[in-house]
Amino acid sequence: MKNILNKVSKTLFGSLSAMTLLMMTFPIEAFAKPKKITVGYLNLVNAQLVTKNLGLIQKEMPGVEVEHIKVGGGGDMLRAIAAKQVDFGGLGNPPTAIGVTRKLPIDGIMVLNMLDFVEAMVVRTDANIKSFKDLKGKTVAAPFGSTTHYLLLQALADEGIDPSSMTILDLRPNDIAAAWARGDLDAAWFWEPNLDKAVKRGGNIFMTSGIMEKRGYPTWDVGVVMKSFAKKYPEYVEKFVKAECAGIDFWINNPAKTAKIIAEELSLDLEDATRMMKGTEMVPCKKQLTSQYMGTSDDIGGFADTLVKTSKFLVSQKRLPKQLKRKDYEKFLDPSYLEKVVD
Amino acid sequence: MKNNQLKNKRNIKRFIPPFMRKKTFAYSMLTVNILFITWVVVTETGLADELFLPGPLKIWQSFIEVSTEGYQGNTLFVHVFTSVNRILAAFIMACIVGIPMGVLMGASKIARALLNPLIEFYRPLPPLGLYTLLVMWLGIGEESKLALLFLAALPGLIIATIQAVQNIDPVYLRVAKGLGASKKTILFNVYLPAAGPTILAGMRISLGFTYTVLVAAEIVAASAGIGWMIWDAAKFLLSDVVIMGLIVLGLTGIGLDIFMRFIGRILMPWTRYLGP
Repeated sequence: MKNILNKVSKTLFGSLSAMTLLMMTFPIEAFAKPKKITVGYLNLVNAQLVTKNLGLIQKEMPGVEVEHIKVGGGGDMLRAIAAKQVDFGGLGNPPTAIGVTRKLPIDGIMVLNMLDFVEAMVVRTDANIKSFKDLKGKTVAAPFGSTTHYLLLQALADEGIDPSSMTILDLRPNDIAAAWARGDLDAAWFWEPNLDKAVKRGGNIFMTSGIMEKRGYPTWDVGVVMKSFAKKYPEYVEKFVKAECAGIDFWINNPAKTAKIIAEELSLDLEDATRMMKGTEMVPCKKQLTSQYMGTSDDIGGFADTLVKTSKFLVSQKRLPKQLKRKDYEKFLDPSYLEKVVD
Repeated sequence: MKNNQLKNKRNIKRFIPPFMRKKTFAYSMLTVNILFITWVVVTETGLADELFLPGPLKIWQSFIEVSTEGYQGNTLFVHVFTSVNRILAAFIMACIVGIPMGVLMGASKIARALLNPLIEFYRPLPPLGLYTLLVMWLGIGEESKLALLFLAALPGLIIATIQAVQNIDPVYLRVAKGLGASKKTILFNVYLPAAGPTILAGMRISLGFTYTVLVAAEIVAASAGIGWMIWDAAKFLLSDVVIMGLIVLGLTGIGLDIFMRFIGRILMPWTRYLGP
């Protein structure tokens, strides 16, 4: 028995050292090709659906297995990233501010979308809500930790209304739609495709995320990559960005076809898909390098300011223990892959 | 002199609860201490990422902070109180429904045949799967949360009670009947006292199971409760609050169990010690 064990360990040791030698002779980069990449995409309307539907990432990376995982919201995505279950993900600005401040090993590599009326606050028509002040004593829902929760509290703060004067409930988008159908809610700030279900059942849009952008509170989703992945396979990050940029270009140039794809991906009517599409602003990759968005590697743009603003707000809400400087949020944003793709 | 010392020793001993005097308690403490030391070592040496496992000091700080300043508008006491209230309300309801149902099913074959399919079907269903339906039916308020906890508590109670009633020595029944006892007397003076200990054991297991469903019950549209606090803090990666919440949740669970055993001892003094 002992003999066999000895033999086994010797062979194992031998082959291991041989492998190590082999690996040392050849530069690792030449072999650096992931077996499989996992893309976590958010359950909302943006060009990632196009990229997925047309298999654009797969086209960029022949021989690599590409898996797409649908994630409900920013909070879930944050947990998926913390648990290292995805290589690429998408995050709204509040989860991004949380993740970066808590030093999650991620880099922001591109703009996925700017949020316009695809995210909106719907109010029950017979609740007679005409201004934020009318929300007092009412029941309002939003997915906590998301872009819309951030905007809701920000809007209340701007109007000088105490959030405790109303009941604010934490519900996921699909739960909001269900609770709305039962008549449990007076208002809800969330996003398509579920938003539409509330509008169709006795609701009307009171405020949109696009209006809040004009008031100085832009909300967006940023594409992120795990640092460990980016270090190991930098070319594949570039390929990913290239594929997503192609998806964005397709969205901008073929609106009719895009609507069809979205309708198919989210099981919607073509008409609804077309309207939801218009509520999301896609930014062409070249424009993403301007100062309003990512900026350039030497001069990081407005996204860093949004992150500063968002984390300041989250600290005041005691959802974040501390605030970082703009410099730290700049480090998170890495436009270098975009720069290579656009050139 | 010597006598006096002994007396003193005995006096001191009197202040230590009986379970702490046992040798097994020392072993239990050993496990707790080893766990704690491992925790300290792993966090102090930086072996564990602080984001995922903060050190004991951080947990203690968050305990103090949440106890005094509160988490999202409610202090720790309010969170625990809200949750314990939900659990007890649902559990008492389940006892009121479940124990008589169990006695009935244990005593009558027909009742058992009638009700069994229902209980056997929903018992293995995962609570979260049921919950979506409960939210649609009962709304996002307290009703759906209580209903979920109630449904979690019920099957354990019923099954334990059936077992308890079926295991009663038939000699007891024959003697009671032979002495001309009425049905009511048999129920209260034979069935319940004889089945009591097993029912109590079932109640303890059932309460434990109800406890495990708490976080699930407080995920949807809660703004207080220890389960909600854990869920919300996880969303913002506040792992110190999460771990602190879990420790409080565990200790509250132990507290409830001790309370149950205490009640059992008062209601059924003939019950022997039921084990840990």
